Amino acid sequence: MAETATTSLPRLQRFRLRPIRVAEFSFLLFLAVAMGLPLLFLLTGSFNLSAPGKPALYGLDNWIRAFTDSGTLSALWMSFLLSVVRLIPAIILSVLFAWLIARTDMPGGKFIEAICWIAYFVPDFPLVLAWILLLDPNFGFLNSVAKSLPGVDGVIFNPYGFWGIVWVHTSTGGIWFKVMLLVPVFRRLGATLEEAARVAGANTTTMLWRITLPVLAPMILAVSVLSFIRGLQSFNTELLLGTPAGIYVYSTKIYDFLQREPRAYGEATALGSVFLLVLAVLLFFYWKLLSGGKKFTVVTGQGYSTLKVKLGNWRYIAFAGCMLYVAVTMLLPLTFLVIGSFMRRYGFFNIASPFTLNHWYNMLSDPIFLVALKNSLIIATATAVGGVVLYSALAYLLVSRRTLLAPLLESLCWIPHVLPGILLSLGVLWLFLATPLRFFLYGSVWGIAVALILADSPVTTQAFKAGLLQLGADLEESARVSGASWGYTYRRVLLPLLAPIAAAVGLMNFGSALTSISTPVLLYSHQSRPLAILLLEYSFTGELERAAALGLLITVIIGVMMLVGRKLGLQLAGSE
Amino acid sequence: MSAPVLEFRDVVKRFGSVNAVDGVSFTIERGQIFTLLGPSGCGKTTTLRLVAGLEEPDGGEIFISGKSVAAPARGFYLPPEKRHLGMVFQSYAIWPHLTVFENVAFPLRVRREANEMVRQRVEHALEIVGLGGFADRGATQLSGGQQQRVALARALVYEPEILLLDEPLSNLDAKLREQMRVEIRALQKKLGLTVLYVTHDQAEAMTLSDRIAVVNRGRFEQVGTPEEVYEKPQTEFAAGFLGRMVSLLGHIRKNSDGCWFEFPGQSARSPVADTLAASFNDGVPVHLSTRPEDIDILPNGAPQPYQLVATVEQVAYLGESFEYHVRAGGVAFVLTAAKKHRYQAGETIRLALDPARLNIRAV
Repeated sequence: MAETATTSLPRLQRFRLRPIRVAEFSFLLFLAVAMGLPLLFLLTGSFNLSAPGKPALYGLDNWIRAFTDSGTLSALWMSFLLSVVRLIPAIILSVLFAWLIARTDMPGGKFIEAICWIAYFVPDFPLVLAWILLLDPNFGFLNSVAKSLPGVDGVIFNPYGFWGIVWVHTSTGGIWFKVMLLVPVFRRLGATLEEAARVAGANTTTMLWRITLPVLAPMILAVSVLSFIRGLQSFNTELLLGTPAGIYVYSTKIYDFLQREPRAYGEATALGSVFLLVLAVLLFFYWKLLSGGKKFTVVTGQGYSTLKVKLGNWRYIAFAGCMLYVAVTMLLPLTFLVIGSFMRRYGFFNIASPFTLNHWYNMLSDPIFLVALKNSLIIATATAVGGVVLYSALAYLLVSRRTLLAPLLESLCWIPHVLPGILLSLGVLWLFLATPLRFFLYGSVWGIAVALILADSPVTTQAFKAGLLQLGADLEESARVSGASWGYTYRRVLLPLLAPIAAAVGLMNFGSALTSISTPVLLYSHQSRPLAILLLEYSFTGELERAAALGLLITVIIGVMMLVGRKLGLQLAGSE
Repeated sequence: MSAPVLEFRDVVKRFGSVNAVDGVSFTIERGQIFTLLGPSGCGKTTTLRLVAGLEEPDGGEIFISGKSVAAPARGFYLPPEKRHLGMVFQSYAIWPHLTVFENVAFPLRVRREANEMVRQRVEHALEIVGLGGFADRGATQLSGGQQQRVALARALVYEPEILLLDEPLSNLDAKLREQMRVEIRALQKKLGLTVLYVTHDQAEAMTLSDRIAVVNRGRFEQVGTPEEVYEKPQTEFAAGFLGRMVSLLGHIRKNSDGCWFEFPGQSARSPVADTLAASFNDGVPVHLSTRPEDIDILPNGAPQPYQLVATVEQVAYLGESFEYHVRAGGVAFVLTAAKKHRYQAGETIRLALDPARLNIRAV
């Protein structure tokens, strides 16, 4: 395209060095190195029989060993199965929630929407811990309650296992995110489509089944596929609830390979590569689905709907149902996280003075905790600042439409959206170990920050892109025509206008850096251990009360930050 | 004579394989309003953006006041901020985080003018556009018309070489649009501004412009005064885009009696001027086109030369006038006529053409 445009002109023009081109190519180089190389190392590393950083020795042994290990295939299968099974209730519930919020006269819709927003940000690891406190066969509160009921014998609940994982996922992010994605879609659905159905004589049920759902079906399907792919990335819940029961998904299996002594890099990498291939196939179909064309253009924003379905008395029942769901999946576990952190010995309610501040006191005075806190703050700050600087510039480049390589840049920056944290971590680990980067990034807080910045690229870039698109090019161009240089324009016009987005996205990335486990889990060392990893260690060593305290602390920090972010107008719409 | 304020020499701008601006040359003299008129996507906005420096041309050369500002052949391109232009965007592009005063002051601040100077000139500019006393308002508290004025004040505050207006009135309601049209014209006269104006609205182009360029598919179809462009359209497109055209198919008849037009189904002979007659042979089919407002409607009677017998098919009452759907010799078209006489549907009428305002073209 660019070639044909310049061939008829003197060659001189092509060699003019323009700042925009320099920026474009440096970004391309950076993204190719940062996103491409880890993937490349993952794929080639699986054929490398020696450990990373040692002279390479190529062969198929890793693949043979990985796939003669009976656990490998079953781990892949389990990943698939878990992701599908938990998708079903999540989609049904989120469609129901979104419909109730957006299209009916259910009271408190806005309130429930806000709760979904907050619930989405509650970190999942503390919630998993909380469900252990509630459901553990030995000390779980709900089991104790059940035992005291007449006619109940033995253990009723057991979180360790397939259904435990499915259940816990419905409370950790399972439906909240989808509700947030679907509510705007339901709102945008042209009111006229439903009104026409009404005028044609359809009642609410007919309209729902014959018009609303079919029209939205492609969107719901797209959300489902995306959720399925993202579901495959899950790590924390499976690690805590699956491993004790001998259930492995591919991500916990990779972690398991790397926990062995000596670390089984080869097998882990072979498994990672297989998953990459599976992912590539899935993404291909997802892309086919999305580029299916016309089907998706039906849902256009022609006027917001004013028509709300009247539920009559059912609307109170609907509201109560929503609140009950929130209470059971959010309030209940969070409450027990609080109780757990204050109990001398969790589960022993009948001893003298069961409550104590000791766990909090011990944790806060523990030098390991203080180091981890410091590490986490450094990592999260570096991630937030680095991500904002890098991706605001990238988004600007993508939106400015002056770049020739926008599609390539764009797809590179989407990679981490589908690449599971553990694979990104593994790829980055290879990158650090097999290159001179090992001397200053391996095992350091900065190395973890780099991996987290990479992981943030899709959402951050999209948020800035959305912001820039909304501002439009005119505001910038009018400054240029008024005589302002690019730098002056950036300072006086773009920066002030983008500041709220930058602050909000920065906060969000700070939060996710603070809670991420699967990304730093392969990259940290004892000097660079962040809080989330410390939480993981507490829960492995069975210090549940202290883990509850730390989990609660992290949750509170995130909660406060997200409320601040909401005040700053953080919109998730921009992130998808 | 001094150099034109703006000159395009064979300028080309490509987007992919499409030539958005396709070898355009023109000049604008100081103190003129020059309008680019054309349908959306014709390349008029791209032309304006090339002047502003928001796009780089792929070929040709652009001069502002005799100095080259873009010459791709030499790899030369002057960025927008160095061109001393003022521009009003279609969206107005008022910066929402700045007050009215700071919006207008921006070009002066960039140029590091002293505070007192800035204050005076901003107040003066706001006065000119009729927004005195609005200086401390937040930019987002303004109505569309007021935002438009702020954008205009911002473009005028430092006396630009050329004022670029990109469909500045298209987001205003009809009444305000008319008012602003008059005001812009008055302002331009008063300040002696050179204006490059982009619009797709022909009424706007006709009332405002000293010269109009009719733009189509990246090319200038015709450049001239509003009257020239309307009365003497040089291309089919120019004729059709500016106002409506009635096009009739006829034949040239020539014998010893003279030379005349023959319309299908019509009896009257319409003599062809001798100067024209020489260029046609007997039996040649020709297109005659004229503006519908140049056709008079007469009651039924014996047709004279240049009168066609026609039938009224439909009548619509428009309030200020009647709209007649008529058919003459197989061709249907719409005429607007004053209310003094009302013809009924089905009635036979005569249509009087004005020989002086007929465009004749061989088929």
